[in-house]
Amino acid sequence: MSTRTQWVISVAMALATVGFVGAAQFNSSVERTAFTTSAQEVLAIQIGQLEAEQQALQDQLAAVNAQIETFQASAPGSEADLAALNARLATARAAAGLTPLRGPGVQIEIADSLRQVPPGESAANYLVLAEDLRAIVVALWASGAEAIAINGERLVSTTSIRAVGNPVLVNDSYLQPPFVIQAIGPPEGLAAFESHPSFLSTVQRRIDAFGLEYAWATMDQLDLPAFVGTPTFREGVPVRPEGGG
Amino acid sequence: MRARTAQLSLFGVAILIGLLLVGQLRSQQRPVELRSLAPQELSALVQSLSTRNRELQAGLAAQREQLDGYQRAQAEGRSRLELGQQEVLALNAFSGVGAVQGRGIRIEVDGFLDWIAVNDLVNELRNSRAEAIGIDGVRVTGRTVAVPGVDGVVIDGTTIGARFVVSAVGDPEELYAAITGPGGIKDQLEQVTSVTMTLREVDLVVVPATARELAFNVAQPVE
Repeated sequence: MSTRTQWVISVAMALATVGFVGAAQFNSSVERTAFTTSAQEVLAIQIGQLEAEQQALQDQLAAVNAQIETFQASAPGSEADLAALNARLATARAAAGLTPLRGPGVQIEIADSLRQVPPGESAANYLVLAEDLRAIVVALWASGAEAIAINGERLVSTTSIRAVGNPVLVNDSYLQPPFVIQAIGPPEGLAAFESHPSFLSTVQRRIDAFGLEYAWATMDQLDLPAFVGTPTFREGVPVRPEGGG
Repeated sequence: MRARTAQLSLFGVAILIGLLLVGQLRSQQRPVELRSLAPQELSALVQSLSTRNRELQAGLAAQREQLDGYQRAQAEGRSRLELGQQEVLALNAFSGVGAVQGRGIRIEVDGFLDWIAVNDLVNELRNSRAEAIGIDGVRVTGRTVAVPGVDGVVIDGTTIGARFVVSAVGDPEELYAAITGPGGIKDQLEQVTSVTMTLREVDLVVVPATARELAFNVAQPVE
């Protein structure tokens, strides 16, 4: 084969590659931008406003809670009853997730795959889904976690982790990847989360199949924020324990 | 000269391929711009955020009322003991240390559900704003998960049988609709397993306190 022919073949192949990649790029660009309607614009603005409102409400709640705690803590004198009550309040707040916690544990980071989505395959396979986060959380609780937060959202008794399409909501807050899951607990026990069936059957399988970005490490000290929400019920009423309380 | 031109052309083409590949790889990642989400996703997000904000507003009002109570108690020189005791009771109900009662639903599950399905059911109840959940008398706290055991599904050390009852305190209509709606978790579980789920809205559900110790061993409160 002459040198000229080799050059012609090389250039033809290069141009074919450019054409293929360019077409793919054009198609995905069209998909991303062409369907942004005015309704989507309005909804996106509304979401931004709601998120700002949520942040403001959480800040106000935290401020009022701090004031309440100050009242509770500022017992005049050293009445034994008040001291005992304050101790019970502190324990109850901590158990409810309303107290920031510090301790050793593990930190896990998981993010969408960087792999190219093959034609004909669902792009959602390559994204971190709510079910991945739920599976990690189950594995962590089962491995002895005492407290967990995802991207700063502390998990409490009423926490749901759910998907709205692909977006993930934790405590009804919209979280975006990368997802950082922090769990306080005995590090040697927590490290076993990777071998828990919940992790293996969901997350590990998807990491292997789709290349979700994933890393974890044990940490000597983690700081988990308090749950900022309302520990009050709309329907439920506390049942007073027999014998007082 | 011709060879040089060809080399330059190839160089240009290589750069172009590189740029296009980078653009293509970037476009495969999750669209972080809200505008690029589907309208249904955006609508659902608006709904969820609105609901959460309403709850936060209600909670803020309740907390302000509590703060007023403390301020009045201080001004009037009254004991703050009773207010504090009420709050302990409410906090314990929230965490699972205390029992809760109220309207809700009762779900009778007949047939074998594996631990994954039980966790999914609990999550679905939480999605539907259940305030307290019990499974066969075991309180589901924030730290409670169903795990596989030798003789079946184990929840906080208790093995549940093939027939069990889930009780949830919350808005009965909302809970019932979320679980039984088309494509809801009842449909999903009944399609893929031999289980039968029977739901009832009830005026009074009592969800017990947890028998589990919720104290921390390594976590320390941050002052």
